[in-house]
Amino acid sequence: MPADVPPVTGEEFRVLCEFLYRRTGMVFTEAKRYYVQRRVTERLQATGFTSYAHYFARLRADSGDEIEQLINAFTVNETYFYREEHQLRCLTSDLLRERIRTKPRGRPIRIWSVPCSTGEEPYSIAIWLLENWPEVDAYDIDIVGSDIDTQVLDAARAGVFGKRALMHLPPRLVNQYLEPLDGEQWRIVEDLRQSVSFSTVNLVEMAETRAHGRFDVIFCRNVLIYFDDASRRLAAENLYENLEPGGFICLGHAESMSRISPLFDVCRYADAIVYQRPMEGARG
Amino acid sequence: MAEDQKKRVLLVEDAGLVRMYYREALQGAGFDVDEALNGIEALEKLLTAPVDLLIVDVNMPQMDGLTFIRTLRRQTPAIASIPVLITSTESSPQDIHAARIAGANFYLTKPVGQEQLVLHARILSGCVA
Ligand SMILES: C[S@@+](CC[C@H](N)C(=O)[O-])C[C@H]1O[C@@H](n2cnc3c(N)ncnc32)[C@H](O)[C@@H]1O
Repeated sequence: MPADVPPVTGEEFRVLCEFLYRRTGMVFTEAKRYYVQRRVTERLQATGFTSYAHYFARLRADSGDEIEQLINAFTVNETYFYREEHQLRCLTSDLLRERIRTKPRGRPIRIWSVPCSTGEEPYSIAIWLLENWPEVDAYDIDIVGSDIDTQVLDAARAGVFGKRALMHLPPRLVNQYLEPLDGEQWRIVEDLRQSVSFSTVNLVEMAETRAHGRFDVIFCRNVLIYFDDASRRLAAENLYENLEPGGFICLGHAESMSRISPLFDVCRYADAIVYQRPMEGARG
Repeated sequence: MAEDQKKRVLLVEDAGLVRMYYREALQGAGFDVDEALNGIEALEKLLTAPVDLLIVDVNMPQMDGLTFIRTLRRQTPAIASIPVLITSTESSPQDIHAARIAGANFYLTKPVGQEQLVLHARILSGCVA
């Protein structure tokens, strides 16, 4: 029987949200009180604390991996295969074509799915390229998936998915790129799992984003909606440094770079609006 | 192709995505496909199970494609005589010439379309249809 956890007071709520905001950029307002209460209760029960003061002291001491566990508990990891397929279409019909034009021979094409949550997005990119890009064999393609949540990354590496995640992936592709485990679950085939690498990253920590090097295309979808303006801007500026000059960034459908940072050029293609880091020397 | 007369292809390619792309095309066309990640692994596989065709990438770690073919051509006749189709991102006459000298039967420059790959695999492996 888990220990009883009292509801958070206004002050405790503020301290907790402030802590999460500083660590992740995610903003939780009063409107999210129920969500916050549920998750922090879960953490107190898991660690055996019955008072918030003691639990916060443990967080501040940063002992064990409790900060990591707390962050894992608070992230929203909703995702699925072939989400916003029109952006994948844009990737092969316009973005890669554009990147290849200016790319020195022999250099790999690097694509970053950040945040990748449980891996549906980077695996979708790999499948999409195999199915829709006839030049897939002519380049070294490096697909990286990253997230702040270490638990979803473990799931992404395992590559096991249920019906819900696969809902939008045509059955032919499910058969081809996943193997059935039981009636309810499928696992990404070995070769495909090996083709995507996963890593931890915090988008609002420049040292962590920097360590990932530069990419041709970045998919940064459905995370900025959880941030406030300041952390959105910080994440966008960090990602700017992760783009090759002329590289592209794709955001989620509810997100617009024009409201976040002036660093990027807006590119309207037939299938999607994306943002481009200007070519070197293109601006004064 | 009937099950008992399926032609066997060994795909020697280090990039997982490319292996998947070629395998999909070849299996779809009725080939029996085995894979090796580099020349060393390919030689090992050939000793236990010879094949009708080798499709070999030039750029591979451990043992590159051309070194692999040269080694292959020095094996016992059953293995040394297996036809080799080279796939490479290099398209200069010197590269193609070097592959010929090493003992390649045919050379395709990447990107190799799936149809093109199947067509050449059929011809080189001696498929009738
Ligand atoms: C809704 S998912 C989006 C997944 C995928 N991009 C998509 O659109 O389907 C949001 C992800 O953002 C991650 N996240 C939240 N804050 C982050 C941060 N500061 N750095 C990196 N990832 C973060 C969460 O862990 C979660 O997995």
